[in-house]
Amino acid sequence: MPRHDTMPAAAPESVISLKGVAIGYGGRAIVEGIDLEVRRGEILFIGGGSGCGKTTLLASLNTLRPPLAGSIVFEGIELAGADDETLQRVRRRFGMMYQLGALFGSMTLLENVRLPLEEFTDLPREAMDAVVRAKLGLVGLAAHADKRPAELSGGMQKRAAIARALALDPPILFLDEPSAGLDPVTSADLDALIVALNRMLGTTFVVISHELASILSIGHRFAMLDGARRRLVAVGPPAELRDRSADPWVRKFLSRSPSGEAA
Amino acid sequence: MSPPASSTAQAAVRVVRGPGGIVASVDGDLVCESVGPALAALGRELIEPPAAIRLDLSGVRRLDASGVAVAVHLHRLAQPKGIPFEVIGVEGDRKLLVDLAMRGQDPVPSPRPIGLLREIGSSAISIGSMARDLLRFAGEVSIVAVGILRRPWQLRVRDTIAAMARHGSDAVPVVGLLGFLIGAIIAYQTYDPMARYGAKLKVADVVSVSIVRELGPLITAIILAGRSGSAFAAEIGTMKVTQELDALRTFGIDPVRFLVIPRMIATVIVTPLLSAYASILGVLGGFLVLGPKGITLTQYLVEARDALTVGGFLQGLAKSAVFALLVAGIGCLSGMRTGQGPGAVGLSTTRAVVAGIVAIIVADSVLGTFFYTLGI
Repeated sequence: MPRHDTMPAAAPESVISLKGVAIGYGGRAIVEGIDLEVRRGEILFIGGGSGCGKTTLLASLNTLRPPLAGSIVFEGIELAGADDETLQRVRRRFGMMYQLGALFGSMTLLENVRLPLEEFTDLPREAMDAVVRAKLGLVGLAAHADKRPAELSGGMQKRAAIARALALDPPILFLDEPSAGLDPVTSADLDALIVALNRMLGTTFVVISHELASILSIGHRFAMLDGARRRLVAVGPPAELRDRSADPWVRKFLSRSPSGEAA
Repeated sequence: MSPPASSTAQAAVRVVRGPGGIVASVDGDLVCESVGPALAALGRELIEPPAAIRLDLSGVRRLDASGVAVAVHLHRLAQPKGIPFEVIGVEGDRKLLVDLAMRGQDPVPSPRPIGLLREIGSSAISIGSMARDLLRFAGEVSIVAVGILRRPWQLRVRDTIAAMARHGSDAVPVVGLLGFLIGAIIAYQTYDPMARYGAKLKVADVVSVSIVRELGPLITAIILAGRSGSAFAAEIGTMKVTQELDALRTFGIDPVRFLVIPRMIATVIVTPLLSAYASILGVLGGFLVLGPKGITLTQYLVEARDALTVGGFLQGLAKSAVFALLVAGIGCLSGMRTGQGPGAVGLSTTRAVVAGIVAIIVADSVLGTFFYTLGI
């Protein structure tokens, strides 16, 4: 897969802005003081060690879990403390793919992907089904449209979840570990799809991932959380961080070096 | 949903017919909102099947992931009729998007509908397989139980005690409440007919015999099926779905010894105790009705004692133990037979409760006949 590190040439416009955000559970912060801009049209990877709060941060970004402190602004709307109506409106502009797919087990893939279209568009059924089949085709599952999630492998369920996230052509997509559990070819196909959607449609991607190959080949920027120091330790182009970050933990993480702690 | 700007998105469709087929050109924005009208316009032009279809997307300003549905739809129309179809006027990322969307889009012929005979056959096979599993499971449990009798240290005592607490002492309030109320209800229903014959004290006989011999064990077992049978199926079923059972087997640990035996032993120990407790409260519930009618507690209890026999009491306990074995066994077996997918555990739980209750009633009638024949 060719390297894809060229951001849109225009000055980066912030689509989501985090200031002093603290995330955690039960009032206990895992990471504090996060200042981060998600730029329109970028592919932003968020990474870090296990348990450092990546998925929790994603849940705050997609409005499902309010931050413990700080401000999250999406297209000028403050999300921290916003009322339910505002959050519902904002959520329709987000696409979300969960780590384990979270497909509805009682529905076929076609019905899973069609559900958001039925709820939020007035497309005729024939057009709706064509749109759904196109989305399933994008993730290589067109031939499985009439199967239920239980009949598919874990990797296929993930791809179906991406198709569902794409259902309403959202301008911003959150993907939680999209490549985990996929074979390298499927993973590369997925990267190609992300790049194509990003370049063609200007879709912004926020991706939680440990896949260094994906981060380094398609990520415009990489934001790294450190659970031990409880803060965001680096943000920048992945290759640059790998080679020149002032933080040795970031360099180790991105070059897949051993921590040295076992020695 | 597309960005707000696309709410005015429009796509114009032009169809040019030639000797070699048609060229359908789309101009404008081919996005989610305009897909419906574009497909409708194309549908009107394609009433007569052409020799070939070429879809020209060179005039499309904006194409999103929904817009490529037009290509997918035309391909699915053309392919079964053997009409050649091609998308032109796309390159680079657009071509990639179209190519990705078109993958695997050949319509698959619908499977033949399943006939009644086949349906009956497959149901029979499934019932047969369940019966075989039940038999195998009973055999497996028996072998492991005999093994544990010979080597008692292999029993997971801590798990057994935990199961006794969860499925025994935690059930005390609900079993007691239902036993007490059922006793009172029986007394209410029988008081008037008995009083008409001047035998109002005989209500104590009816209540005590029906509760101790029949209803106490039955109520306890039905509560057990709802509380514990379903819990066993859900716990073991979830372990099956998350491959924990496979992990046990990989370690060489028999899931029956590890999971099933502690639950079955716990249930068989606590259910007769719960049943006896429900029976005592049921008999006392009967006094709730007779007390205000001028019958003293001593009169009531003496009458109830005279009506009961040791055999009748033991019959109730024996029934409870058998019901417990059935409910726990069916619950655990349902869990072990859990399939894959999110609905599988729910299905196993339902099966455990329904099959458990059916088994209780069937066993009750068989045991009732058996004890009656023996004159107990």
